[in-house]
Amino acid sequence: MITLGLDIVSTAAILFIVSAGLLIVFGVMKIVNFAHGAFITLGAYAALIASQLGLPAIFGPFVAFAAGIAAGGLIEAAIVRRLYARPLDAILATWGLGIVIGQLITLAFGREVQFVPTPISGTLAVLGEGYSVYRLLLVGAALLLGAVFAGLLGGTRLGLATRAVIMNEELAQGLGIDSTKVRLLTFGIGAGLAAIAGALVTPLSSVDPNMGIPWLINAFMLVMVSGGSLVTLALSCIVLGGLQVAASTFVSPILGGLTIAVVAAIALRLRPEGFARG
Amino acid sequence: MTPTKPLTQRLPMLLAGAATFLTLAATAQAADPIKIGVPVGLSGANSVVAPSVVQAAQLAVDEINAAGGVLGRPLALEVADDASGAAGAQKAFDSLIFQKKVNVLISMETSAARNAALPIVTRGKTPYIYTSFYEGKSCSHYMYVNAWVPEQQVPPIVDYFAKEKQAKTYFLIGSDYAFGRGMLGFTKAYIEKIGGKVVGEEYLPMDGSDWTPILSKLKSAAPDALITSTAGGAPNVTLTKQLRAAGLNLPYGNLAVDEGTAKGMGGDAAGIYLSASYLTGIDSPANKTFLAAMGKKFGTDLKTPNDLSVPEYEAVYAYKEAVTKAGTTEESAVLKLLGDIAVNGPRGSIKMNVEHHAPLTMYLGQVQADGSVQVISTFPNVDPGPQCPNLKS
Repeated sequence: MITLGLDIVSTAAILFIVSAGLLIVFGVMKIVNFAHGAFITLGAYAALIASQLGLPAIFGPFVAFAAGIAAGGLIEAAIVRRLYARPLDAILATWGLGIVIGQLITLAFGREVQFVPTPISGTLAVLGEGYSVYRLLLVGAALLLGAVFAGLLGGTRLGLATRAVIMNEELAQGLGIDSTKVRLLTFGIGAGLAAIAGALVTPLSSVDPNMGIPWLINAFMLVMVSGGSLVTLALSCIVLGGLQVAASTFVSPILGGLTIAVVAAIALRLRPEGFARG
Repeated sequence: MTPTKPLTQRLPMLLAGAATFLTLAATAQAADPIKIGVPVGLSGANSVVAPSVVQAAQLAVDEINAAGGVLGRPLALEVADDASGAAGAQKAFDSLIFQKKVNVLISMETSAARNAALPIVTRGKTPYIYTSFYEGKSCSHYMYVNAWVPEQQVPPIVDYFAKEKQAKTYFLIGSDYAFGRGMLGFTKAYIEKIGGKVVGEEYLPMDGSDWTPILSKLKSAAPDALITSTAGGAPNVTLTKQLRAAGLNLPYGNLAVDEGTAKGMGGDAAGIYLSASYLTGIDSPANKTFLAAMGKKFGTDLKTPNDLSVPEYEAVYAYKEAVTKAGTTEESAVLKLLGDIAVNGPRGSIKMNVEHHAPLTMYLGQVQADGSVQVISTFPNVDPGPQCPNLKS
């Protein structure tokens, strides 16, 4: 029972880490960034390079963030910027972009599966149950990311400008807010967060050019259900992640793999606008 | 009237002309190689081992060509990516058989890919040497198998756990596809036959990477030993990593890990038991020659030869022997001989004479902390048992 609880919390944490970047982009720009999966992969490879260079594991997410923010900024300025008025085209364009990034990674690193060593192995006793330290660490990482994020949006000038752009872009521009810059920064940070997610999940899995794709589907579903707020995203992660773990544990892991997509589809049928306020 | 030259004067010219003609004919034939199709998972789950398979095929082809080819014709490889799955395999086989018109198919593939491809092989009537270990009982008139089946691979591990580790309860984990389910189905039956008990049997889809709920179940079942059979490559790595992260350290037999993957996983793989028909540590002159040739040809790019790549190497030689003996590349003649010829390779002398399968010498090994595999015991000439009793010839 304790293990089940820990499984749910840590699975929710991983889902939150993976979908936070997508949420930011969706929330501010109202476009769905289907290149999100590719940014996750990019981050994983950045962490791989960092570990091959012999940097301590703690640098992995930072290297990944830098790589993600750079790639995201470039792509926003070159491609995505032209598509804000055409959200459906943006979906296609970012999907294509994801394929391009995946192929570039394949060209550079080959198609094969690679490995990043686990920085921390072993278990920690939680209420008498030994549990994977790394998964517990990811719960901490998710909380930290959530807090930094909320602080950034709620407590800084940039956050204020971002929220203004979210609420009414024309009015914000009229007040002298450079919405182009806000969008550039937001997309860059979204990509950077995806890359951090890639770096954080690799020690539990393997690195290959398509590793981001399965995450993308779940992240997309969670962001849609949440409707665009951090709090509801966290809630969706706990509820849907919990259902996934429960289905895997009590029925079959094969069914568990479908849970998030199916439950999200039903939830969106009942409440198309998602579960955020307003 | 033009004076006619006597024959004696014209002879040298005639001879020269004939010689030129013959040389041209020979060149034409030299440029017409025997094509070996290698559909293999360069992307997807098999991408960890596929490059080593291609390297092994390249070495065999180069060696045979350097020694004059087969029936005076050189061998040429046509490698195609099957993306480790059914859809990719259909495309790869279709293009190899009907567009590239290969003479033979020699490759390792996932069972899903093989099953999807077999109807195409039958339609193309192309000989196919399957060089991957698999779950057994896949039968086709056109297919020969020179790798192990469960009857050859599972007993060494289970017997060892039962005798040396006094294991009575077992937990089985696999990828949800033909190989995973087939191997564990056989393992379960074998465990029950020798008086053991299976306390859990769980599967995850092939592209799944989160083993958490399964590992929690494993933990609460607290078995004496664990036996896994995932798809090679990524699932093997994610499962082992998460197993170690969860702090589980019970006797762990892996039916689907190869030496290269074990090495790549670093410390996480240490202690894993595996059972194979090939390990780099086999102490035989043929294996040493093979390893030296591989090292010389590929240098630092060498992918560790393994239980999936060495059968590929030997199968190219098997095809060469069959064609040489048949005197032709004609399919039915070659197919008839593939079950008769013996090949002496790194794994010893191998003959695919038991219902299109081959008796093999099996090795039980354990992964060491440095990633190398130590041979614990050897089981000579293990019979594959009845795999295809309904197959005529």
